[in-house]
Amino acid sequence: MATEVIMPKVDMVMETGTFVEWLVKEGGQVSKGDPLFVIMTDKAAIEAEAPADGILAGATAKADDVIPVTQVIGYILAPGEALPTQTAPQPAVASAPAKVEAPEPAKPVEGASESGKVRATPVARKMAEAQGLDLSKIAGRGPLGRIHKADILAFQQTQTSEPLTAPVTISAPIISTPAATTAPVAAASPVIPAPAAPSAPIQLPDARRKQVVPLSGPRKIISERMAYSAFTAPHINLSLRVDMTEAIRLRERVLEPLQAQTGQRVSYTAILARAVATVLPRHPYLNASLSDGNIILWEDIHLGIATSVEENLIVPVIREAQGRSLGQFVTALADLTERARNRRLKPTEMSGSTFTISNLGMYGIESFNAIINPPEAAILAVGKMVDTPVGQDGQVVLRPLMQITACADHRIADGATVARFLADLKSTLENPYLLI
Amino acid sequence: MTTREITYLEAVREAMSQEMRRDKEVFLIGEDVGTYGGAFGVSKGMLEEFGAERVRDTPISEAAIAGAATGAALMGMRPIMEIMFMDFLTISMNQLVNASAKMRFMFGGKCSIPMVIRAPSGSGTGAAAQHSQSLEAWFINVPGIKVVAPSTPYDAKGMLITAIRDNNPVLFMEHKLLYRQKGPVPEESYSIPLQSAEVKRQGRDLTIVAYSIMVPRALEAAEKLAAEGIEVEVVDPRSLKPLDTETIVRSVAKTGRVLIAHESPVTGGFGGELAAVIAGSEAFDFLDAPICRLAGKNVPIPYNRTLERAAVPQVEDLVAAARSLAQEGR
Repeated sequence: MATEVIMPKVDMVMETGTFVEWLVKEGGQVSKGDPLFVIMTDKAAIEAEAPADGILAGATAKADDVIPVTQVIGYILAPGEALPTQTAPQPAVASAPAKVEAPEPAKPVEGASESGKVRATPVARKMAEAQGLDLSKIAGRGPLGRIHKADILAFQQTQTSEPLTAPVTISAPIISTPAATTAPVAAASPVIPAPAAPSAPIQLPDARRKQVVPLSGPRKIISERMAYSAFTAPHINLSLRVDMTEAIRLRERVLEPLQAQTGQRVSYTAILARAVATVLPRHPYLNASLSDGNIILWEDIHLGIATSVEENLIVPVIREAQGRSLGQFVTALADLTERARNRRLKPTEMSGSTFTISNLGMYGIESFNAIINPPEAAILAVGKMVDTPVGQDGQVVLRPLMQITACADHRIADGATVARFLADLKSTLENPYLLI
Repeated sequence: MTTREITYLEAVREAMSQEMRRDKEVFLIGEDVGTYGGAFGVSKGMLEEFGAERVRDTPISEAAIAGAATGAALMGMRPIMEIMFMDFLTISMNQLVNASAKMRFMFGGKCSIPMVIRAPSGSGTGAAAQHSQSLEAWFINVPGIKVVAPSTPYDAKGMLITAIRDNNPVLFMEHKLLYRQKGPVPEESYSIPLQSAEVKRQGRDLTIVAYSIMVPRALEAAEKLAAEGIEVEVVDPRSLKPLDTETIVRSVAKTGRVLIAHESPVTGGFGGELAAVIAGSEAFDFLDAPICRLAGKNVPIPYNRTLERAAVPQVEDLVAAARSLAQEGR
């Protein structure tokens, strides 16, 4: 029997995927598990494997097609077998205006066992019972369609997000609230009216074009999110300069032992991340999200580290950063940035942060304002360390000063709140020995 | 308290010596424990300190060692019997199972049998099928005998002292590969209650319940998985009977997933008991995946080094099993 090749769902919130390329030509022989095609999700290119042995046929997907998850995009046929006639694959959905679609009805068939009972883990069963959910309406992603806790959570999310009526420039699911521990508050994606379009169309300059790069994949997501954040969150930006003398000394002291322990060199980003994770619990309004008329104060710190990968911004996340040692930050950072550069991060590893650090010091940038990574409350923009003359005991001495800027959402936090956070962070970095 | 790094083997020796200095009724009996200092060197130097009356070499008869120890315990002494390899306990079985374990019950509590059976267990030294077994399940199934399998020098010292002071027979398992492992141990005498599992590493994604040699392996696996973003919690029951079920159940209720690891063969092993305890507890409502076991294969331990490794769970096996369990349905 022909095996369907479908657009895979690789992320809980994924509804469509952008097709990139087939790795096997139409009519080509494949074995189960061979890389078959590449798709682009919100954040990364992902190779999908052949679901069976056989010959690829009826491959309809083309580059840049935006295709709903689970839609059939081709078939694997046994030798001599014909393509199924009835279920011709539908044309791909147009990519232009992103629109929010009602979640696809879950397929209950998979979850049912031979006896007709639904396969579900005890915790999933208990959650469904407590919330009056019908398990047979929920699709499970475990073996044999078993329903796990994650499936219940995903189902709840689809139930709470409402379709938008007015056309908007952002698609709601791009900003999903992080899965961190908090007081129970229903997660709902923010619904914000789009800014009014200019009354007269903006003319493009009369110039020769070198290239036209389609706004798609990660770039599209970044532009949507940043515009959303910039136009909805009133940013306040506060800066101060930190004397890094002791932090430099600390790094020199721990460099060798930590290298022996982790195999990695301690970066200033690791020290900063550790400092932020230490200080942030004392400033709960900066580790928060605005959602559905509530400010959610997160118990967990899921720390995003802004990383540039081939002209795209990727934010790998160190989850539950609050309890981690410096050594663990070193290991986690090395692993995440390495895999981010190789595009090997899983979608869950680059989403769900509750606070972000963006360090441009390595490019020589001394200070900058960053745009908050929604739905976070704040982002820390870190500049280069610069030897700066400062007055000390009546003398002018050189000190390595580093400017840090906290950019916060004024709807959630006020200037004094941000200032207290910065002062706390400064004093922690200037007396950094408690960070070990 | 002054704490310094010593080996597991030294911790065992220190516990015995401190108890022998404290209580003249405590003595050590076994094959080659005196002049030779023990097959693994555990009792080295003890003959010189305590003399041949209290560090007693015996003929090669494990039945006689167990019988002598049981008799001495019955008469009010506190023997520590050493069996050179756990495998040879089979020869002591009648004494231990039909006499030591049952006397207190059969005589209505008129006597007690305060004895410790120390036995090196486990594979990994190329000692083949008759010198590499982990026979804890045999003894756990005998009412009247307690079974302890500590994984660190600190736990070994504190639990051996508790075992010596216990008025019941306690089987004290010492994994051969742990003997050379170092860890911080206070110089002073201290005791750790038997029924006290310990969370050796905190994590949120799944729990590995491991004891003896599987603890350091589980910790190494957890470290590797942490780099992949999988946070493993490692719980060491330390004592298998009596078992601290509360700590285990609490951890599984937190993570919702559990992998049980031991070296002895999977079929009829202690992992089955642990799985049943977890499934029957309040953790059941929080389980988000089947309870999994990773244990020794159902084969005698092979002599060949490669096959010997393959017969029991190694770090990479723990990594693979824990990773797949953590990712199931997520």
